[in-house]
Amino acid sequence: MATDSYGGGYSRTSYGAGGGDDAGGFVYGGSQGGSQSGAGKGYGDDTLRPVTIKQLIEAEQAYPDAPFRVDGLEVTQVTFVGMVRAISPQTTNVTFRLDDGTGIIEVKQWLDADKQDDAGKEPFALDSYVRVWGRLKSFNNKRHVGAHVIKPVVDYNEVQYHLLEATYCHLFFTKGNPAGGDGGANGGGDSMFVDGGHGAGGGGDVPMNDGLRMVSARARQVYQWLSNSEGGNEGIHANMISQAMGMSIGEVLKCGEELTSAGVTYTTVDDETFAILDY
Amino acid sequence: MESISTPRISSQLIDSYVGQNVMVVGKVQQLRGDTAVIDAEGQITANLNRDAHLVNGNAAQIIGKVLPDLSIKVMSSVDLGSNVDFKVAQAVVDATHQCRDLFVFDGSKNMMMG
Repeated sequence: MATDSYGGGYSRTSYGAGGGDDAGGFVYGGSQGGSQSGAGKGYGDDTLRPVTIKQLIEAEQAYPDAPFRVDGLEVTQVTFVGMVRAISPQTTNVTFRLDDGTGIIEVKQWLDADKQDDAGKEPFALDSYVRVWGRLKSFNNKRHVGAHVIKPVVDYNEVQYHLLEATYCHLFFTKGNPAGGDGGANGGGDSMFVDGGHGAGGGGDVPMNDGLRMVSARARQVYQWLSNSEGGNEGIHANMISQAMGMSIGEVLKCGEELTSAGVTYTTVDDETFAILDY
Repeated sequence: MESISTPRISSQLIDSYVGQNVMVVGKVQQLRGDTAVIDAEGQITANLNRDAHLVNGNAAQIIGKVLPDLSIKVMSSVDLGSNVDFKVAQAVVDATHQCRDLFVFDGSKNMMMG
């Protein structure tokens, strides 16, 4: 699949053009920084995470004004796509309602006082897709995204690409690196966005069982071990797996459950004995 | 901020979504009056609204409600041109249903897999 080409387009639109012709991004940082309680932190710790709108709506805060967390990780900058459902120009900002099919959220783009000519124009048509780069904010218990940059999506494939990328990142952080390793940041030096892995979907380049795509690295190891051992239809008890693999029983049972719900193993004589589901 | 989803589906999944709002990306196969036939892993009949501007042979995104006869009453439709990779569109449908918690608010009925 031609993930590479999307990757290229993505990085081009994000920064190459971003800072230059769109001074709004800088103004935003200046005017907002002071009023934001979480400020004081530099941009050094920032990440840019692709997300779905549903993830933003469900992002957790440990306490009011705490940083937002998605999949247990702090999110600072986010990027997402959405269809423009409504545009309401205000005196200090333009508020967009964006819908990506997973939820609806408000996005505010602050107006640059020095560039008044921008204020009147509405560059985006209703029901067209745009991509947003910005920060999730909470104001009066209502969430919105403060946008640094909003750009129109010119190629619909970018919408699909984004949703797959958001899925990839979610799986990367919750289930671990598909290339092996335990989900740490050891990407092996390669870009995590453009190489095959989960995102590759129907391609013929993933030799493993299809059901294993969604399970954790640990569970995958258990599956490997099971498929290399002689259990036959009787299955192998969690105790034996635990001894052979040096995992705790609890961990083995968790992996077993994961594999069973993925439909690649099943339980045999009791709930703690697993066999490979072969068909 | 609204917790409302229009899950991306294909014709293979449509019968689990009767009465719900969904999104379909597919290829326009036929346009006749105010109905369109859209191919998304099988054919889906779409009852268009007045302001639909779909193009035969092009890709389209429709959002609408699944009726009991498994056609879709369209609320919004967009012509996507001819440069849409349907394999990728299908991959997104798969991802939607394999990782429902990223994509779908299950406020209503309909709990499929995990």
